[in-house]
Amino acid sequence: MRHLHAEWTKLRTLPSTWWLLAATVALTLTVGTAAVSSVTTQVCPDPAACHEDTVKLSLTGVWLGQAACLVLGALAMGAEYGTGTIRTTLTAMPMRSRVLAAKATALALLTAAASAVGILLSLGTARLILPTNGFEAPSLTDGPTLRAAAGSVLVLALVALLGLSLATLFRDTAGAITLGLSALYVVPLLANIINSPTWQDRVQRWAPIPAALSIQATKNLDRLPIGPWPGLGVLAAYAAGLLALGGVLFRTRDA
Amino acid sequence: MTTTSTPTVTPYRSQLHPARAGFLRLLRAEWTKFWTVRAWLLVLAIAAVVTVVISQLGASGSSTSGNVEPTLAPDGTVVRDSFHFTHRELTGDGTVTVRVTALESADGRALEPWAKAGLIVKESLEPGAPYAAVLATPGHGVRTQWNFTHDTAGGASDLATAPTWLRLTRAGDRVTAYESADGRTWSEIKDVRLESLPRTVHVGAFVATPMHQILRRSFGGTSETAGGGVVTASFDRLALRGTSATPAWTSADVGGGVPNGPGPQDAEPGATKLSPTGVYTLTGRGDIAPDETLGDTVQMSFQGVFVGILFMVALGTLFVTSEYKRGLIRTTFTATPSRTKVLAAKTVVIAAVTFAVALPATALSFTLAQSRLRENGFKPPAFPDLSLMEAPALRAVVGSAALLSLVAVLALGVGVVLRTSAGAIATVVVLVILPQILAFALPLPAAQWLLRVTPAAAFAIQQGATYYPFVDHNCLPESGCYPMTPVSGLSVLAAYALAALLLAAWSLRRRDA
Repeated sequence: MRHLHAEWTKLRTLPSTWWLLAATVALTLTVGTAAVSSVTTQVCPDPAACHEDTVKLSLTGVWLGQAACLVLGALAMGAEYGTGTIRTTLTAMPMRSRVLAAKATALALLTAAASAVGILLSLGTARLILPTNGFEAPSLTDGPTLRAAAGSVLVLALVALLGLSLATLFRDTAGAITLGLSALYVVPLLANIINSPTWQDRVQRWAPIPAALSIQATKNLDRLPIGPWPGLGVLAAYAAGLLALGGVLFRTRDA
Repeated sequence: MTTTSTPTVTPYRSQLHPARAGFLRLLRAEWTKFWTVRAWLLVLAIAAVVTVVISQLGASGSSTSGNVEPTLAPDGTVVRDSFHFTHRELTGDGTVTVRVTALESADGRALEPWAKAGLIVKESLEPGAPYAAVLATPGHGVRTQWNFTHDTAGGASDLATAPTWLRLTRAGDRVTAYESADGRTWSEIKDVRLESLPRTVHVGAFVATPMHQILRRSFGGTSETAGGGVVTASFDRLALRGTSATPAWTSADVGGGVPNGPGPQDAEPGATKLSPTGVYTLTGRGDIAPDETLGDTVQMSFQGVFVGILFMVALGTLFVTSEYKRGLIRTTFTATPSRTKVLAAKTVVIAAVTFAVALPATALSFTLAQSRLRENGFKPPAFPDLSLMEAPALRAVVGSAALLSLVAVLALGVGVVLRTSAGAIATVVVLVILPQILAFALPLPAAQWLLRVTPAAAFAIQQGATYYPFVDHNCLPESGCYPMTPVSGLSVLAAYALAALLLAAWSLRRRDA
């Protein structure tokens, strides 16, 4: 508990933390709103046959918000290595695995709280905008919508943990962020442009980001390459696996 | 008492005023800072290798059935060439004239803006043979088109309101197109030269229409369905002046049933009906135009560049943020108080180094990916051999290297402004990569807007396919189409890099180090 308190103090007293959390909310909301307002019923042959997944569209902002979460996660550990605070931390709290666990907990809770705000605001805005474009407003109490919203919050928290574990592995912010961004953006991009259906399918199943975002789907679930919860599980497995690996190295390596 | 006299030594002082140190010296200083960090050289090497390797993987994942025999234009372009033709032979010089009175859809669907009815001079009835045509369209007025890739606009007359007179005159290997509103005063549209046109050619009236395209796009899926349309055109006063071996007009479907012709294989053939009053009614399908539905083998060779970008961003950022982190920036500015000069030297060094490494990497990516694509069925004649030293390929290779280099410069500028590696790297990667991912998902107008206004527009430089303005084409991001032309796309990124540098220069002068 004392570990958690220490990590919470470190995290909350950094100005960059609040900037990044504000960025997560703002970016998620902005992109989501822009995406929702760009869609009209004219894209469908007729309004009744419109299969636009409006819930997923209103949560598009996660694509941008995750970058802020990754940076936040990476900085939570990378900044300590950058400034040398890590040595003070480990002198004060020699139980290294507890330090990492406390960091992960504080980070995950904080990111989840901020993401929940961002996601709820996105859905709220979508409820206001969609009826003006001729679509039905998504209801928050609806099962699939609830799953998409809760899942998106989990995705953002897991991305922050991914950043934390990469920074623990690399002991360096720049390297962790570069690798993290390649997993979040470049792999999905390659999956889209690669001209081979087999590889597209493989990437969408096993790469963390396209797989995890299948949780946002509320329509045509049978056409997804991977189901919503298993997809989120893929990202969780990456985050947990890397965090465990980071934890082992954290214990065995010099600070 | 002994005194030791120590000889006084004047310490070395540079003769140069520190603020006036030459720019070359500054370049050398920055270059030394770069190459002495072994990790950065390693990152550069990894960037080059990864770019080449991922490009290979991307290319070997691509495949095409490729067993369709394409129709080739005289210049080697893959084209569609099928239309309904009411023709006579013409030996030597001559003139053919007609009045087009109507052009209507014959299958109940809306008329395509580029449906065609008019006159054509064609070397032979073989698909792909050289031709020159003057034609009326429902959406684009009267046009002269020849040899598939050339198009000149004539008047803006609309068949829905008034008939149009058209005339083609052949003299030697020149064909001249005219139009008229009344059949008396003629205005020339274009004088076309068809290389080595034989003495005997086919002339007459024709009708054609591009396919109907229905596009449906939603998150995670695009369906583009195309169906061959059928159109009917009415002509009268069809007259040929000149020597002809065939006394009567005969009708034929040029390119009918060719595998890449539009429409189902068992489609009804075209027909010509002649009324007693001399009205020819032609019904037909097909199109005379370049085929733009083939894959772009140039673009398919550069998929590694997306990964290479990450390393360039990291390098560009770290080249300045690591100085802030270690406090070296204060030494740098003490040695060279002119901060803009330092920024300029850093920019030159990072741009030159990244370009010098990226160019061989993209050239190698292209060469290796081309041979891989060839194994996967992207072969001539549909996919002609591309030379590294010629226009689309050379532009894409040099352009991709410039893209990587500009991204590094952009990262440098953002790094100076933000001063932290984490923020700068994330900002630049998001700016360059995210728009493309969103473009796959967002509705088409929003997607195309994103690919115009963000640095992601620069990837247009990798396009090798030519999109002709006289062919309706859905520019879909998922099929690799960028809405901007190659060079203007790259200049969007250049503008971003320049803006970042200006902002960096301003903040360097304003802020403490």
